[in-house]
Amino acid sequence: MASQKGVKYAINVHDLTVAYDYKPVLWDIHLQVPEGVLMAIVGPNGAGKSTLIKAMLGIQKSITGTVEVFGKSYKEMRKEVAYVPQKEAIDWDFPTTVLDAVMMGTYGQLGWIKRPGKKEKKAALEALEQVGMLPFKNRQISQLSGGQQQRVFLARALVQNASIYIMDEPFQGVDATTEIAIINILKELREQGKTVLVVHHDLQTVPEYFDWVTFLNVKKIATGPVKEIFNDDNLNKTYGINYKVAVNQ
Amino acid sequence: MLEFLELIWSDYTVRIITMGTAALGAILGLLGSFAVLRKQSLLGDAISHAALPGIVLAFILTQTKTTYVLLLGAIISGLIGSVLINSIVKRTHLKTDTALGIILSVFFGFGMLLLTAIQKQPDAAQAGLDKYLFGQAATLMLEDVKLLIAVLGLALLILFLFYKELKLLLFDADYAKTLGINTKYLDVLITVFIIVAIVLGLQTVGVVLMSAMLLAPAAAARQWTNSLSTMLFLSAILGMISGVLGTAISASQDNLSTGPVIVIIAVSLVVISFIFAPNRGLIAKRVQQRKNKKLFEKIKDDAATT
Amino acid sequence: MKLNFLLYFILFLLGSCSLTDENDSGKIRVVTTTSIVTDIVKNIGGDKIEVSGLMGAGIDPHLYKASEGDVMKLANAEMIIYGGLHLEGKLVDVFSKIERLGKHPVDLGATIPEHFLHRSKDFGGNYDPHVWFNVELIKIESKSVAEAFQKYDSINADYYQANLDAYLVKLDDLQAEIIEMVQTLPKESRHLVTAHDAFGYFGDAYGFKVIGLQGLSTATEAGVKDMRRVSDYIVKHHIKSIFIESSVPVKTIEALQMAVRSRGHQVNIGGMLYSDALGNEGEEEGTYIGMMRYNVKSIIDGLK
Repeated sequence: MASQKGVKYAINVHDLTVAYDYKPVLWDIHLQVPEGVLMAIVGPNGAGKSTLIKAMLGIQKSITGTVEVFGKSYKEMRKEVAYVPQKEAIDWDFPTTVLDAVMMGTYGQLGWIKRPGKKEKKAALEALEQVGMLPFKNRQISQLSGGQQQRVFLARALVQNASIYIMDEPFQGVDATTEIAIINILKELREQGKTVLVVHHDLQTVPEYFDWVTFLNVKKIATGPVKEIFNDDNLNKTYGINYKVAVNQ
Repeated sequence: MLEFLELIWSDYTVRIITMGTAALGAILGLLGSFAVLRKQSLLGDAISHAALPGIVLAFILTQTKTTYVLLLGAIISGLIGSVLINSIVKRTHLKTDTALGIILSVFFGFGMLLLTAIQKQPDAAQAGLDKYLFGQAATLMLEDVKLLIAVLGLALLILFLFYKELKLLLFDADYAKTLGINTKYLDVLITVFIIVAIVLGLQTVGVVLMSAMLLAPAAAARQWTNSLSTMLFLSAILGMISGVLGTAISASQDNLSTGPVIVIIAVSLVVISFIFAPNRGLIAKRVQQRKNKKLFEKIKDDAATT
Repeated sequence: MKLNFLLYFILFLLGSCSLTDENDSGKIRVVTTTSIVTDIVKNIGGDKIEVSGLMGAGIDPHLYKASEGDVMKLANAEMIIYGGLHLEGKLVDVFSKIERLGKHPVDLGATIPEHFLHRSKDFGGNYDPHVWFNVELIKIESKSVAEAFQKYDSINADYYQANLDAYLVKLDDLQAEIIEMVQTLPKESRHLVTAHDAFGYFGDAYGFKVIGLQGLSTATEAGVKDMRRVSDYIVKHHIKSIFIESSVPVKTIEALQMAVRSRGHQVNIGGMLYSDALGNEGEEEGTYIGMMRYNVKSIIDGLK
């Protein structure tokens, strides 16, 4: 479906297909993400959720497809997009402190060779305050719990001052307090007019946390406001007959 | 030991070899840190073994015994090995360690085959190709040392210029990409430096022991610090110490090969670090455990009595 | 069952065929190791034998490993003659396996009476195998070769005797020549510095002090201490030249030269010596006698 004239989408994905060894992981994805939404991307395991955001960010190669950010190519608009990867993908034994890890978010703005200075440190400290991790600023990241790690990652993204935040399973393996803290920050971001995309694993909390949702299972099943499309029909189409089990998990 | 220090001043050979092994130790320590942090510890092993056929082929094709030609062959062969390792991982379902194992054994086997084949050629022995298996540090010359110092300087420069990009690349490569950092180029840069360092070290430590020299200083350094910059600095220092001490010890005895002694020292540093390092060391952990135990017991006692 | 038996029978026939094989040329198949041994064997055996030497010119016998082809040659040989005294360090295993096939390889070094041999400092219990640098010892070895041939092929005993006698005369001439050449060099200049300890017997026989950078085998590594020891020696005795060897890396000697220069003494590279092998076949230095002449001339010229 062609986009309506005049409506600016935060992200516009055309015709995205990703395959490993002839097996399709994402097929013919057309996805339009309006500005200012807090969107969950849901689907069963292997549905391609992580792959979708990686392909959007250029981390994963796709066979076909284009990604536009605010009408321009992703490469041009890189600075407007902040990524929060799965924390399980990182080796947390890496020698660095919490503050240092968060300051890494400023590297994109600094460009080559320049070193982070006072301005960057201040931004990092503010971000740490926002996620409630300021007391831990000199702690080694290897000493953090899952929830603390996630907060640090979020702080790193906040420092980028982006317009769009893309997160991969941020609520996986975190304690309840952290979950609440994070969702509150995301809602705040939405209040500020930012766009937030979250790969989410817990169907039960979708209506509570998000205003938009995308159902994904290799193909895009549906996308739209939660109130309209978060129903049995779409759950069935995405998860199959066992969707009730998936919901209750 | 004092006598050795005096010798560095007075004796040409001791001075040259000490400078050479110190520079080499520093390079290997530095680059080894990258290999260890990238979880590519065995890459050094695979590449050093993969360099062997390159050395022998360089001799066969050019018939020269010039070190630089042979080392160029080693670099090319090491690069090819490294490219193949990546291809295998990308194109097949094999994991990295399998790919490393395959390349290591195939290339090394091929190299040994070539070595036996050229035995029949008259000039082969003069080229000293056998010496690359375990190194012969005593034949380091001024040009070799100059080259080593130049490479060390270049590595330090690159590290200084691109420190933050390299740090992020090591920590979270995907995220680095989203910031617009060209991880591919940096990756290739690191790998090329590692290959060059390995090849330069072959003359001193040899193919078989090279991977130990690449990993040991870095592994030891990691135990003492939680800051990346300190770790890099420390592993360069530890590498240097291994080189200098190794030279000192083998210089004082008859019949002690320098290369293996250097490696033994480096590994000893690792063992010492594993045991004695504060926080991460075995002893420190035991002490901490005991303290914790006492603390918990005290808490239990207090709870019981209230 | 029957099929297996048939198979084994056929293989046995084929096997015995190759054993009794093509001795149609009538010549004895002899396999030798180093080019020096090959040369001596050729001189004694003449046209009654067919020699196959495993190692050619410039090959280092200390490091030489047998290839599949070599093992086949050894297995098919009628006689095997080698330098011995652990010269062919990496072939020791192969020879002991060949023993089990019923062949008896001849260790030439072992035929030399013990009191002529030098003990090794590095490899305790072993002897210095570089015996060929004393012509007298080669005379002994030539006699041993002749004896081995006479034992295996007694019919032609006289032939071998004649060859031996002729060769011994040549060796005596060589010996006289060498002694004469050496006399022209004053005693203080008789210091021979080489890459490895190959020339011990030479020094002993002809009055030279001999220093090698590496030990008896090229498999040893020249260490820092060795470099210093040898460069100090060179400076102390004002030695004019040091010598590289055909089968040892040049770099080692070059490093030594630099070490000496740093002590303020100029030492030249006096030339290349044949240490563990002969020169190219067909050339003068491709024979034992030619090689010795060349070596001694180079040494004398370099040190004058």
